[in-house]
Amino acid sequence: MTMTPRERFQRITQFQEADRVPIDTGSHVASLHRISYRNLRDYLGDSDLKNADVILDRMVQNVIPDEKFLQRYHVDFRWIAPNWINVVDVDSDKYRDMWGITWQHMIDAYGVFESPLAGATLEDLDRFNWPDPEHPDLWKGLGERAKYLYENTDYVLVGDSIKGGLLTKALQIRGYEQMFADLVGNVAFAEALLDKLLDLYKAFWTGFLKTVGRYVQMVYFTDDIGGQQSMMISPDLFRTLVKPRIKALIDHIKSQADVKFMYHTDGTVTPVIEDIIEMGVDILNPIQTSALGMDTAVLKELYRGRLVFHGAIDVQQMLPFSTPEQVRYDVAKRIYDLGRGGGYIAAPCHNIGADVPPQNIEALYAAAYEYGQYPIQLDHVLSEEDRRPPTQAEIAAQSTVEKQERRPRRSRA
Amino acid sequence: MNDHDELLDALYNHIIDGEREPVVKATKEALELGIEPHSILFDALIPGLEEVGRLFEEGTFFVPEMLVAAKAMTGAMEILRPLMAETGAKPIGTFVMGTVKGDIHDVGKNLCNIMLEGAGFKVIDIGVNVPEDQFVEAIREHKPDAVGLSAFLTTTMPMFIPTIEAIQKAGLRESVKIFVGGAPVTQEYCDKVGADGYAPNASALVRELKTVLGITS
Repeated sequence: MTMTPRERFQRITQFQEADRVPIDTGSHVASLHRISYRNLRDYLGDSDLKNADVILDRMVQNVIPDEKFLQRYHVDFRWIAPNWINVVDVDSDKYRDMWGITWQHMIDAYGVFESPLAGATLEDLDRFNWPDPEHPDLWKGLGERAKYLYENTDYVLVGDSIKGGLLTKALQIRGYEQMFADLVGNVAFAEALLDKLLDLYKAFWTGFLKTVGRYVQMVYFTDDIGGQQSMMISPDLFRTLVKPRIKALIDHIKSQADVKFMYHTDGTVTPVIEDIIEMGVDILNPIQTSALGMDTAVLKELYRGRLVFHGAIDVQQMLPFSTPEQVRYDVAKRIYDLGRGGGYIAAPCHNIGADVPPQNIEALYAAAYEYGQYPIQLDHVLSEEDRRPPTQAEIAAQSTVEKQERRPRRSRA
Repeated sequence: MNDHDELLDALYNHIIDGEREPVVKATKEALELGIEPHSILFDALIPGLEEVGRLFEEGTFFVPEMLVAAKAMTGAMEILRPLMAETGAKPIGTFVMGTVKGDIHDVGKNLCNIMLEGAGFKVIDIGVNVPEDQFVEAIREHKPDAVGLSAFLTTTMPMFIPTIEAIQKAGLRESVKIFVGGAPVTQEYCDKVGADGYAPNASALVRELKTVLGITS
């Protein structure tokens, strides 16, 4: 029996199987770069595929995918993103956002150029020109759109992030190196900045959810704590300084609306997934399988029935450098590992970059739809090795990191 | 254990703990006690930073701990560098480092610089968003043993290719080892673009670089 997207979402977030694995695309960190979107449009020869120039997030240069795209690829979600306010064009290459952070153009995206609190002291935090969380333009048009979609469609509606989370925003506004150093060397400042951001984000979410809260089934924010080879900060530091504040923000959000909460962090985060669950996270995104230790079979084994996984289709190593056949195989593997028993939403693990061939985009969505039909039967697709359960050793290797003691000094021989 | 050893032990531990002011203070005390700058560097500071690198690779230390250790090291080096220049001490090698054109990420690059300097290399940082010809110019000017190309994105790492080509065209390819690195970069990609070396993190870079250059210390 075919289910509506909302029914499907409800089932799989209760860790039950539905008619098929839901498919998602369209958030500010999981859409398509404008170049890959245009390449896809040209490949399909479909000049009616709109929005190639409708930018969702100026920093990453992705698009708001056309409704035609979303329907073609069976996307179950529709995203409602806050408006950007007070953006200033500094010159042809740079803009300044509402936080006062200056971004510089790179090949096909923007990176932090100048951080306004780079030299700030504790006292400066009170004097800083913070964005106004009650600025009316932030939510302009969003309530009407959410209401319309809620009443006239069955899609799962999601409130997208107010861009950047507590740690991410602190790193950008203070400067990455300075903030990293503050976290261990100037803790009072780091905590004061994180607290300031927490207060602001709470106020932002109050306004956003007042506008769309009764229509959305899920909300989302991004706060990266993972790197390619290890976490960006230690699990201890995360638990002491970051986790309690993210939890407070999630508690606040859930007190404003009846929603599932999805948390986004790139990179490897295996040592703190229990902490992430404790923060009140229902759904973890994006499961970057190209980062060290993010093994989908092990993750499912460890957190089955406690955490929904979202993403896992890698945009960094897999999608750009695979053949369409390899893409199909990888999608099958993620669905097999994460989708059985519910608890998985198939999606690219970040924006589909300019370097991903259109054939691979087609393969991704076709495979997610075809292989995602319940009951999952992929014995004919996946090798025996890719279907075996993880060993105890593999599970232990992922979930425990032994702290090393420092060795005493040795003089040169 | 004598006073010298106690001080060097303290310095070593202050470096690992990333305590800049105690490092500066202990460095001055060590000099007053008559410990050679060379010994302060090679018996305490460098071993300390190497230990930080090891703890990073073992998953006990993370970027913040590494950054404050590096800042502490800089505090000592500001005092020691002029003294060592007087005695004619030479760096163990020279490294030119830059983030490729189209990319302005620099945290990973800067960590590599710090670990390389900590290991005794002279590092010339030519910044971010560096066009091919500036890499070529820097190699001509500084005659480094090796050059590092950094990229943070899969869409900017292809810039390794024209940069390496430019170095080749300038006739400098044989005189310099080329290292590539950054989050999405792999050994496979390093081989594909024809670089000489790759490392997944700053501490591993020091090791790989020493191996490629045949430095045993």
